Amino acid sequence: MAALSEEVLLVVKRVRQRKQDGTLYLMAERIAWGPEGKDRFTVSHLYADIRQKISPDGKAKIQLQLVLHTGESTNFHFSNESTALRDRDAAKDLLQQLLPKFKKRANKELEEKNRMLQEDPVLFQLYKDLVVSQVISAEEFWANRLSLNNVDHSASNNKQEVGISAAFLADIRPQTDGCNGLRYNLTSDIIESIFRTYPAVKQKYAENVPHNLTEKEFWTRFFQSHYFHRDRISTGLQDIFSECAKQDEKGLRSMVVQGVKNPLVDLLSLEDKTLDEGYGSNSMAPSTSSANKTVKENSNSAIIKRFNHHSAMVLAAGAGKKADAPNDQASETSSTDGNSRDSDFFQPPVKKVKIQEAIEYEDLHMENGKKTVALNLKKSDRYSHGPVPLLPQQYTTSQDIINSVNCIQQEIANYKPCLTQVMSSSTASSAIAALSPGGLLMQAGSQQAINQMVPSDVQGELKHLYTAAGELLRHFWSCFPVNTPFLEEKLTGHLEDMFQMAYNKFHAWQTRQMLRKT
Amino acid sequence: MKLNIEGLLVYFPYDYIYPEQYSYMLELKRTLDAKGHGVLEMPSGTGKTISLLSLIVAYQRAYPLEVTKLIYCSRTVPEIEKVVEELRKLMEYYSKEAGEKNNFLALALSSRKNLCVHPEVSSLRFGKEVDGKCHSLTASYIRAQRHSNPSLPSCRFYEEFDALGRQVPLPAGVYNLDDLKDFGRRKGWCPYYLARYSIVHANIIVYSYHYLLDPKIADLVSKELAKKSVVVFDEAHNIDNVCIDSMSVNITRRTLDRSQANVETLQSTILKIKETDAAKLKEEYRRLVEGLKEANVARETDIYMSNPVLPDEVLQEAVPGSIRTAEHFVGFMKRFLEYLKARLRIHHVVQESAPQFLKDISEKVCIDRKPLRFCAERLRSLLRTLEIADIADFSAITLISNFATLVSTYSKGFTIIIEPFEDRTPTIANPVLHFSCMDPSIAIKPVFERFQSVIITSGTLSPLDIYPRILDFHPVTTASFTMTLARTCLCPLVCNLRNPQHGAFWEGGEGPVIRNYGNLLLEMSAIVPDGIVAFFTSYIYMENIVASWYEQGILENVQRNKLIFIETPDAAETSMALEKYQEACENGRGAILLSVARGKVSEGIDFVHHFGRAVIMFGVPYVYTQSRILKARLEYLRDQFQIRENDFLTFDAMRHAAQCVGRAIRGKTDYGLMIFADKRYARADKRGKLPRWIQEHLTDGSLNLTIDETVQLSKHFLRQMAQPFKQEDQLGLSLLTLEQLQSEEMLQKIAQIAHQV
Repeated sequence: MAALSEEVLLVVKRVRQRKQDGTLYLMAERIAWGPEGKDRFTVSHLYADIRQKISPDGKAKIQLQLVLHTGESTNFHFSNESTALRDRDAAKDLLQQLLPKFKKRANKELEEKNRMLQEDPVLFQLYKDLVVSQVISAEEFWANRLSLNNVDHSASNNKQEVGISAAFLADIRPQTDGCNGLRYNLTSDIIESIFRTYPAVKQKYAENVPHNLTEKEFWTRFFQSHYFHRDRISTGLQDIFSECAKQDEKGLRSMVVQGVKNPLVDLLSLEDKTLDEGYGSNSMAPSTSSANKTVKENSNSAIIKRFNHHSAMVLAAGAGKKADAPNDQASETSSTDGNSRDSDFFQPPVKKVKIQEAIEYEDLHMENGKKTVALNLKKSDRYSHGPVPLLPQQYTTSQDIINSVNCIQQEIANYKPCLTQVMSSSTASSAIAALSPGGLLMQAGSQQAINQMVPSDVQGELKHLYTAAGELLRHFWSCFPVNTPFLEEKLTGHLEDMFQMAYNKFHAWQTRQMLRKT
Repeated sequence: MKLNIEGLLVYFPYDYIYPEQYSYMLELKRTLDAKGHGVLEMPSGTGKTISLLSLIVAYQRAYPLEVTKLIYCSRTVPEIEKVVEELRKLMEYYSKEAGEKNNFLALALSSRKNLCVHPEVSSLRFGKEVDGKCHSLTASYIRAQRHSNPSLPSCRFYEEFDALGRQVPLPAGVYNLDDLKDFGRRKGWCPYYLARYSIVHANIIVYSYHYLLDPKIADLVSKELAKKSVVVFDEAHNIDNVCIDSMSVNITRRTLDRSQANVETLQSTILKIKETDAAKLKEEYRRLVEGLKEANVARETDIYMSNPVLPDEVLQEAVPGSIRTAEHFVGFMKRFLEYLKARLRIHHVVQESAPQFLKDISEKVCIDRKPLRFCAERLRSLLRTLEIADIADFSAITLISNFATLVSTYSKGFTIIIEPFEDRTPTIANPVLHFSCMDPSIAIKPVFERFQSVIITSGTLSPLDIYPRILDFHPVTTASFTMTLARTCLCPLVCNLRNPQHGAFWEGGEGPVIRNYGNLLLEMSAIVPDGIVAFFTSYIYMENIVASWYEQGILENVQRNKLIFIETPDAAETSMALEKYQEACENGRGAILLSVARGKVSEGIDFVHHFGRAVIMFGVPYVYTQSRILKARLEYLRDQFQIRENDFLTFDAMRHAAQCVGRAIRGKTDYGLMIFADKRYARADKRGKLPRWIQEHLTDGSLNLTIDETVQLSKHFLRQMAQPFKQEDQLGLSLLTLEQLQSEEMLQKIAQIAHQV
């Protein structure tokens, strides 16, 4: 029994499947059911294969239905009268916890495959040739693709991230639906923007959807919330987003506490010697205590805070992961030394650089070569056509050239035609004819290249056949050395069939071509 | 290059020079020659600092007996550090060109907060805490106590400095704040006290205004600076406010409550000491009888804050008998506190002069003027006698005693205003006693009298004649310099938007104006690359406009073009917003910063190059005219200096507007739009008060523009400016080589740059 080594999370007895009593097992990676009195499972599904579970409530029978990605479904009927409902709910809850984990993985894999096929037309063609025409199975096709790709996929996945429009919230224009309601149109882009800008909302979403709320309800509440309409005064009503507001506040505060790295914009340390409390003529300026602030002022300052936070978050989301790394590092350093101003140890470089920048008058300096070297092209054609392979050149010094010129001059001066060895005119002209285009020795030049003779569709087909065969060969060679029975079986068994099939395909194509030609 | 400024050899650490720099140095030299004071306005970004430093250092080298010291005062810590770095550049050039090592000592001085290297003390957040903690470790009596009880904590940096630091002077060189700290760490000496000790023999000191203008600090730090010094106040357009702030006091009910607690602590401490160490109090009494000045015994670490009045006003006599004993003094303070409490229990505003106040206090509680004058000094003496470690705790009672001394010393130039509540919240009782200085010349007078040359300079000092009047001095040079430009890199435009009626805003009747403001911002956000800074006249006004814009959906549309950041009253939050703003400008997204004129951003932050391609000034930044303190000051200005109220208000508004728009241009390679979104700027009285270098480019064609016209002109300007701008384009016009500078023709041109007033 294979399940022995697995961790069993839940066992529910007296569960019927296909009118047969049995026991339902929920294990770490799969759900299984075995009929009463037998020690093997007749039903076993990996969680990753399960698309969804349905637990119809209203029915008389207490059931749990699992729908697989393949479209099959399995019904379990909980038949223990007294505890059926409880059993089902226990199983359901556990599944609820487990499924998302595996779902993500399954989806990820599917997505990954999909992405690869979309991005690589050659692969897609290969997939069509081999999998769709059932030369090899899909699993086999992907088996050594995915692992192969996992390596370089990180590089290829490094597409430039698109930033977020600062006005994405403005793009959600509410429309009146005619009967005292508002309609918001959300696109996945906007949702993505909201999630990236406000991680707190994303977290709420993950917590609540779909167990507590449907997606629609979630967004309805979002738009109704005080959180979204920050200018409205908190009515004290608790909604799920009031926490988000607090989190934002906290985030903002932590950003503020972290302080700024550029000393030139640090308003806190701008003043050298502030007047002590009580001195000065306008120290009584607007008291910031919230006690004597009107409601309106409070809401105004909330708006201002919100704009600052929003802009900062948009900026941070746009900066993406690349900028995160140094940021993290910086925040780490600043957190390790806490609030102590002994941060001098790492501060000076930034400070020095900034101050140097500030006192620099670039135009007062003599232009030094580095800054403004005009692009001076000696060979502009090389610039516009790209680099040409450098031919081995012999460089000659001017002395060499002068010497050789002298030599030639001497040679010419001493030149005496040797008339006895001159070629007859007819031979000369025939030689010229042979060397001219179309002549005897220039046959190759006039020949059409093969790629111009064959129509492109035939070429394409041939190419596909070739790559398909190549793929099969790759599978073939990847079986060596044959050190597992599986490989052996693969080699002797279906690979041979595959080759046969590929060969047949090629043969069919060949005859088709022949027929077309004649 | 080496320049010849009327016979003085000046090393200038660059290969080229701006014509106005040459002109500036000429005027500066003439001022120094005449041993007089000067007011010089030169546009920002034309290398004012390096010109000043080059010339004065050259002058010091040529005439070491005439000018012994340069005291360079700037406003913010980054400014101070920038000046020192420029100085370092100059000194490096000197040693490279002259070949010999310069024996100049130049250093920056800042508060303990910026200089302390003690691991625990320096980790405190606020300057006041750092000062207090430092005092509790280094005061002389605490160090004396440590002789008997070595387990008391100490600051090893100060101990080391005290033992060794004074014997060898600081080696010559340029010391920025970080250099001082490094040096201090290396030697194990306290950088703060080292710097304070070294300024006496340093050739150049760079520090903040307060060290010279605030009598409480100046007396402590700058007392021994030589008379033959040149004092430079850079960014001096707000110097009158600094002077006023350093002499003004506000007392709230909270201050009084805390003072009450302080007095009680004092009383119990006195009782305790009486039981254990009565001799100490007797000794203090004896000292006071003999009128021995505390200076004889005081050590540098003991005094937290010196006398709040100016040195000439400090009485040179013994403390009067009525407050000589500790108990009597505490009783005296209690009485004074009770009187103040009674004065704060009012329901209507009271305004009176200092003599009226003194008369009232003598009638009601029989407190005479004389003991009041000694209050500050007597309290300091007592605090030292009682060996109070944490002086910061006693800030409230110190404030009260300072007030007592000030009010009894000055009969003119001050006013007392007691307000029972804030104007905006008439229902909430929050009585405040403002003791307000109205005459900035009081605080700065000793500086002008003591030092042979005081230079007041900034990018925006127009109209120049007003500063000598309000600061009450007679400059030998008053000059404004223009900016020579190879291309017109600044583009001031006046948009003909109607100004919102003051007050009408609150009733919500200003919809159209606000909408127009919003449209202007929206249009500009679409055409200006990278950063835009918009300034509003006050914070509350900005809050309301932002809320209206939000409701009208204007900000949403702006967000399609740029990110929005907004200044808040919280400095830390604003710093964060500023940094993000710069980040957004840097990465090409572009951003808008909404900010407030007279706020910290408008005063201390530069928006160079792409950080500020356009500045929009919404409205005219008049000061809040309903304030009683301002009204009193305006009255005083009218009576004493014959400056009309309106002139002063406009001057004040325009200097702030100029400060705001000037933030965008920080050099000749920079460029930026300056949009004045209020038609009042087109009027001659406003226009005429803008700095000359902005006024010059404000042609009739750029006045009274509609929003559309503004956008068109801006587009045109931006497109032109985006073309490559090379050094050759500037050479000979706004940038000169040494040869070009020496040509006769150029010298004539340069003579026109300076505009004498």
